[in-house]
Amino acid sequence: MSLVVDVMTGGVRGGTSIMYAALGETVSEKAGVINLGTEGSMLVGALAAYAACVETGNPWVGALAGAFAGGVLAFIHAYLVVRRGASQFASGLTLLFLALGLTALFGASYVGRQVHGFDTWNVPLLHDIPVIGEVFFEQDPLVYLSYVMVPLLWWGLTRTRVGLLVRTAGERSEALVVHGYSIEVWRAAAVTVGGMLAGVGGAHLSIAYANAWFENMISGRGFIAVALVIFAIWKPYRVMLGAWLFGMAIALSPALQARGYEINQFLLDAVPFVLTLVVLTVFGRKTLSGSPAELKRVFENAPPT
Amino acid sequence: MTVTMIKPVSDQPSDPSPATPSRLRTALPGIVRWTAAPVAALALFAILLVIQGTNPADAFSDMISSTFGRQQSIEQIFIRMTPLVLAALAVAVPARAGMTNVGGEGQIIVGAVAACGTYLALGDSMSGAIVMVTMIIASVIAGAAWAGIAGLMRLVTGVNEAISTLLLNFVALDLLLFLIYQPWRANPVGQPATRELSDAAKLPVISGTKVHVGIILAVVLVVVVHVVLRKTRWGFRIGVAGGNAEAARRAGFRVGALLLSALLIGGALAGLAGFVQFAGVEYKLRPSFGHQLGYTAFLACWLARHQPFPILVAAFVFAALGVAGDSLQIDSGVPSAAIYILTALILMAVLGFTTAKKKARI
Repeated sequence: MSLVVDVMTGGVRGGTSIMYAALGETVSEKAGVINLGTEGSMLVGALAAYAACVETGNPWVGALAGAFAGGVLAFIHAYLVVRRGASQFASGLTLLFLALGLTALFGASYVGRQVHGFDTWNVPLLHDIPVIGEVFFEQDPLVYLSYVMVPLLWWGLTRTRVGLLVRTAGERSEALVVHGYSIEVWRAAAVTVGGMLAGVGGAHLSIAYANAWFENMISGRGFIAVALVIFAIWKPYRVMLGAWLFGMAIALSPALQARGYEINQFLLDAVPFVLTLVVLTVFGRKTLSGSPAELKRVFENAPPT
Repeated sequence: MTVTMIKPVSDQPSDPSPATPSRLRTALPGIVRWTAAPVAALALFAILLVIQGTNPADAFSDMISSTFGRQQSIEQIFIRMTPLVLAALAVAVPARAGMTNVGGEGQIIVGAVAACGTYLALGDSMSGAIVMVTMIIASVIAGAAWAGIAGLMRLVTGVNEAISTLLLNFVALDLLLFLIYQPWRANPVGQPATRELSDAAKLPVISGTKVHVGIILAVVLVVVVHVVLRKTRWGFRIGVAGGNAEAARRAGFRVGALLLSALLIGGALAGLAGFVQFAGVEYKLRPSFGHQLGYTAFLACWLARHQPFPILVAAFVFAALGVAGDSLQIDSGVPSAAIYILTALILMAVLGFTTAKKKARI
């Protein structure tokens, strides 16, 4: 029983950074831009949050700094692909490299610094509920914020005018032009907001989850987020469930090892990726039909340029 | 210049609204922009170094002198560019068929894993030449098979290969880690790694240098890929299938088989890159094996605009940057990964601001 609770608690905790990044990627892809630089936005977000938190001692300032840094990086991606017509895959990977370099250069002096990040805060009453309380309501504030963020994003994307315009940029961009809106502006905005969310994801990792900064600390979580968006068929609430599921897959092996079971964690680490591949294979065409139309064209029109 | 060689993508209508490009950009000939872009990248990198507290003039002069001033470092560049060339070709061939192979990272790992597995199975029971040939065959097949998974997913269920190859990278990485942390681990203490190759199974070096013969293989394959893409019927057909699948279908080409074959050959080349890195450089599998090699090669191929000969130049540049990064760490105490900034800035500058083609309006 406690194993299940442990794994679920760890899944929610560890899945939150992936969830923020994947929510950001959802916004970006809804507007028709895939951002492989999500990993990079998370990296700069993690470092900016850590640095700001070390310097000011306030984790909320850290989270904001993380969002800002992640947004700036994503904006460069938006500029390159939306304005300059660069390949989305190549530009995203380029920004990942930029982030790896920047965080190596400026992060070196922060390795090993003490930080007081977000504390866990038990939600009154709710955390007394057996199992559920422990899993969902004995977490840090950024986790609680993610509970709000998911419905908020769903509402924003599907029920507001802004969301409609973002989705139109990703589904039928010429309709935007007809109504006098700029495709470039709406795509760039969506990609930038996506990067800000990824930056918060990185911040959660460095100042709430690990409370540490080290080089390349995201180690593939940004790519898991990209996979997760497809796994979730571009729906925020599925992103949430998927992030917890992937988080649990990651939390399972340490929990088992702590109980003395011999298990090779790397096979479990592959689970999120294999799961996504299986889902894509089984529901391939159905999944693709859920994809924003412009995104489909991006995939089909990729190189040669 | 390569810029002039770009063919317009056939299924994108030419931009109907001739948005006037800035006068500066049209006035500057391509060559100026091609030099201005890297210079701008260097200047930005210098500014970042100043902010971080390093003297950029010293850093640059140390970097240049220790990257190009010593025979050892120049050899190191050639050693580093070998797998990059092969893995970039692995992107270029599928790209000709209109496919995006982001899976070099995984295909390289799987190729090396297959080579290592072959060596561990055969051991030193046979002559070095036989072991090596078997290792090569195994790595090529493994790389092709890994890419083939993505190819089949595309053909059977319509899953885009850009997504599936990307995901397969992480599966390959976890497979590698699984193997070297348990079944293939040579020493239970210390850094996990496999047993080192015996000298007979290592790639020989070109006499008088430390450069292994893989570089010759890479250059030969660049020529081969160029000829195959330009001069053979298969090369022509994958080009048509990539440009306009419907036209290819009406011409009676079997588009599915063409796409699959292009991706398989790409995977095979990446698998070979994994073998070369394994038997020519690292000699054993470690957790960091081939780290970022596939992504770097993807970008090198992008920089070379998917053309075989420019790939040699792009791979040389990236390899030199890698060596420069190491010397940056040794001479100036700046983390070697900081060189990725320069790599990225050059890419951004060249690819964002030197394209002859106007922005693709979708």
